[in-house]
Amino acid sequence: MVAPGARFTGEQRRRIAEVAVEAYLAAEPSPPWVRPYGDPALDVAYRLARHAGTITIDWYEQIVTEGLHPVEWVEIVGVVVAVLPPVAFARAVGNPLPVLPAAVEGAPHGREADELAPARLNFVPVAAPADRMPSVVQALSAVPDEWDNLWRLAEVQYMSDRQMDDPLWNRGTLSRPQMELVAGRLSLIRECFF
Amino acid sequence: MLSWSSHQDGTPADVDALASGDGDAGLPHGALLMAFAEAIAQWDEAALASARDALVGATSEAFMIDAAAVAANFEMMTRVADGTGAQHAPEAMADRTALAARLGMVERP
Repeated sequence: MVAPGARFTGEQRRRIAEVAVEAYLAAEPSPPWVRPYGDPALDVAYRLARHAGTITIDWYEQIVTEGLHPVEWVEIVGVVVAVLPPVAFARAVGNPLPVLPAAVEGAPHGREADELAPARLNFVPVAAPADRMPSVVQALSAVPDEWDNLWRLAEVQYMSDRQMDDPLWNRGTLSRPQMELVAGRLSLIRECFF
Repeated sequence: MLSWSSHQDGTPADVDALASGDGDAGLPHGALLMAFAEAIAQWDEAALASARDALVGATSEAFMIDAAAVAANFEMMTRVADGTGAQHAPEAMADRTALAARLGMVERP
């Protein structure tokens, strides 16, 4: 996560991650309409980490108009959603919060989807062809490394794609409906329409 | 997923309880699990510790840890969806919109 990404350096990605964690844990966060950093990348990280349910396509388009490339937006989403789960997990179980490692030096590697396409099911561009898979699955496909991170985390924290098709699959602790109850209640409180 | 998996599991869940947060949704330890998820989604550390301890007391540390992992996963997936404007395909929207109304959720902004 703190190594160079498709369009950001390791140092930039580390700063995005740092802002996301600060936003997630802030005792008195800025309201959603305030942009605390005056920097598009950091403001996106902040709002996504703390007020994700308030993000609209209009705001996305405003930020892109200001000069943030849509692929940069996707990379920011990738960094934020990779850094927050370990923090959320540690806090939930009562463990010390993880500390971000030092950034890895180097230039952005530029690995992006061979061809991007506008999507009907997402406001961000995705790997072509668009809309052949569910929107959350194609969401980060413009930046394959972020896509890989996302699904590796999901497999560890929740289940793999294959296991998801089995309504009786579980880890031997929570039943599948109990897992979905936790998922549903948290998503509802987060006001995630999806 | 809750409705589908619970019917397949033979323990149909009460989706309305998911919306209100009241009761146990018809699942073992359902009330404790919802309280734990709520506490994770909010920022009261004392309430989180209390919800965690209550869940461990009724189940086990391993059960609580797996519940925390699921919650962490949905701190991730909700942001993937919201951060990329994810929508359901139109053919699925009728059912989804009805469920959203039942859960008291507003239309996507």
